[in-house]
Amino acid sequence: MLTQLISLLENKKDGLSLFEISRLMDAQPSAVRSMLELLVRKGRLAEIGPDGKVCAVCGLESNCQLLAIKGKRYIVCERQLDN
Amino acid sequence: MTSAFFRLDYGSKLEREITRLVESFSEFQIDTRQYPKRWLAIKLLEADAEMLEQVRNMPNGETVISLSQQSAEKIKSMLGDDVDMLIADRRYGFINGIVRQSLHRPNMDRITFTDRIDDIVTHKWLGLPIFFAMMYVMFRLVIDVSAPFLEWTDTVITGPIAGWFSLLLDLAAAPAWMHSLVVEAVIGGVGGVLVFVPGLLILYFFLALLEDSGYMSRAAFVMDRFMRVIGLHGKSFIPMILGFGCAVPAIYATRTIASRRDRVLTALLVPLMSCSARLPVYVVFGLAFFGARAGTVIWAMYALGIMVAMLAGMVFTRTILKPDASSAFVLELPPYRQPALKSVLIHMWENTREFVRKAGTVILFASLVMWVLLNLPWGVENKRDSYFGKVSGAIAPVFAPIGFGDWQTSGALVSGFMAKEIVVSTLSQIYIHVDDDDAEAVEATTFGEDLAGIGLGFVDAAVNSGRILLSIIPGVNLIDEEAETQDTVLSRALREHYTPLSAAALLVFVLLYVPCVATLGAIKHEFGISWAVLSAVYQTAVAWAAAFLVYQGGLLLGLG
Repeated sequence: MLTQLISLLENKKDGLSLFEISRLMDAQPSAVRSMLELLVRKGRLAEIGPDGKVCAVCGLESNCQLLAIKGKRYIVCERQLDN
Repeated sequence: MTSAFFRLDYGSKLEREITRLVESFSEFQIDTRQYPKRWLAIKLLEADAEMLEQVRNMPNGETVISLSQQSAEKIKSMLGDDVDMLIADRRYGFINGIVRQSLHRPNMDRITFTDRIDDIVTHKWLGLPIFFAMMYVMFRLVIDVSAPFLEWTDTVITGPIAGWFSLLLDLAAAPAWMHSLVVEAVIGGVGGVLVFVPGLLILYFFLALLEDSGYMSRAAFVMDRFMRVIGLHGKSFIPMILGFGCAVPAIYATRTIASRRDRVLTALLVPLMSCSARLPVYVVFGLAFFGARAGTVIWAMYALGIMVAMLAGMVFTRTILKPDASSAFVLELPPYRQPALKSVLIHMWENTREFVRKAGTVILFASLVMWVLLNLPWGVENKRDSYFGKVSGAIAPVFAPIGFGDWQTSGALVSGFMAKEIVVSTLSQIYIHVDDDDAEAVEATTFGEDLAGIGLGFVDAAVNSGRILLSIIPGVNLIDEEAETQDTVLSRALREHYTPLSAAALLVFVLLYVPCVATLGAIKHEFGISWAVLSAVYQTAVAWAAAFLVYQGGLLLGLG
């Protein structure tokens, strides 16, 4: 799962939000959150933002003024990419 | 699979190193009585700081730790990642497998019944008209359906109940002032307010229906776009919806809003939402002056309250409450549900009970105080010469430009500061007199006849209400002329003292003027005295200006 998660993010230059990752991995956000926390703690991923806006319902990028929430995005650390 | 025999397989390479470490515990006589050997081996491979510290303090501990580090390096060189990452990966993979096998999620892409309704009721352009149409239908139903019951309650209170009390006082040889106190203050004041209980029961019934069905959340959603115009978001509309019931809990409901600026602004706008305490004033004047259009007039009051709140919000946002960083509004829209009758009835009863409790405490007390003030100096013949009449008369010129510069109205409005229903109870005390003819009329019936009359009146009211309800169906008209002209004793008395235009100006003033003392207390408690004073001052000024526009504008248009 962690490998899959890192592989997913390696192709995303602007990173992905928790909701986007959950949707793409078909996993519950609560489960993905703990994986993200571990990977950030281990220095594999970095949090960026909270600049990006994602829809609180579907998790996709959104400019909707009503349901968009400012979500942290996750990117793979450069050190990892170098490896 | 039971936990006693379960063992997560970490893969052959990792398992080999785990086994090696477990064997080393026996070889180097590591004390493993406290922890399972396999678990301890995994923790050492993960370089768990706490376990490393414990093992380091044991004899040969350093040797075993050195072995575990060698194993970890070996695994990393073979599998290309840290041991703790590989172990976590295995665990998450296992958990995910269990979840996939045991949890079946509904297809989230399926368009549900709720989605289809929401496409319409939360539509960008249709949402707001639908919201106002819902409110219009609700208030038409509240006024039209409750009107026969309202007249029945009024007849019961001012007829048999007033008669029974008079009879009891006569039997007890009570003095004339006691008659006046009971009949004018208690029955006239409190009874004048209790008359509206049927209307409130129906109002709360419809509000509960809208709330339990899930529509209220949609109303907040729809209003969000308009709330942004005044620098707020839909979350602030939720206390405002509560304000339709009572402003006091609505002020406390602003606690759910994160920003203090948003909370203060919402609290300043909540009292402009027409609370249920104002409904008796609307109903009594509506029925007296606007007849079959009373429902429309009352709906217009609610709509006007919302519009004035928007305007006031825009002014505050551009002056003393400039917006801070905008925060997103996240609202869960629950699926539509069929409201449960029991829940609706409980909601309806609890809110109405609160109104009745208020009538028996605050309004009773205010009515008694008002009666005393209307009768001081003791024995005063004309109420205009009472202390209350004189003070009210001194204030009255302020209200003259807005159409009601008499001492009775100014006195009623001032008393409404305690609670808005008191406007009605004070007007009842001033305008309704039980004269000798009335007393004789009451005495002319027996107790049994009174009870029969009450029962028959109720059945008649129920039949009329049913007819009105059925007449909502297009093409069905079961309303007879009599049902359309129902009003209360007070409504009839008011027609002698107001014109439809001055009544409209009064309704606008009552909608907008100073919040009741309990609401101001809540604002003071939450935000401090200065905001409470501002609320009182700006609302009264806005109310006067709006009533002035209505009255003077109406005169210019020849409506007076």
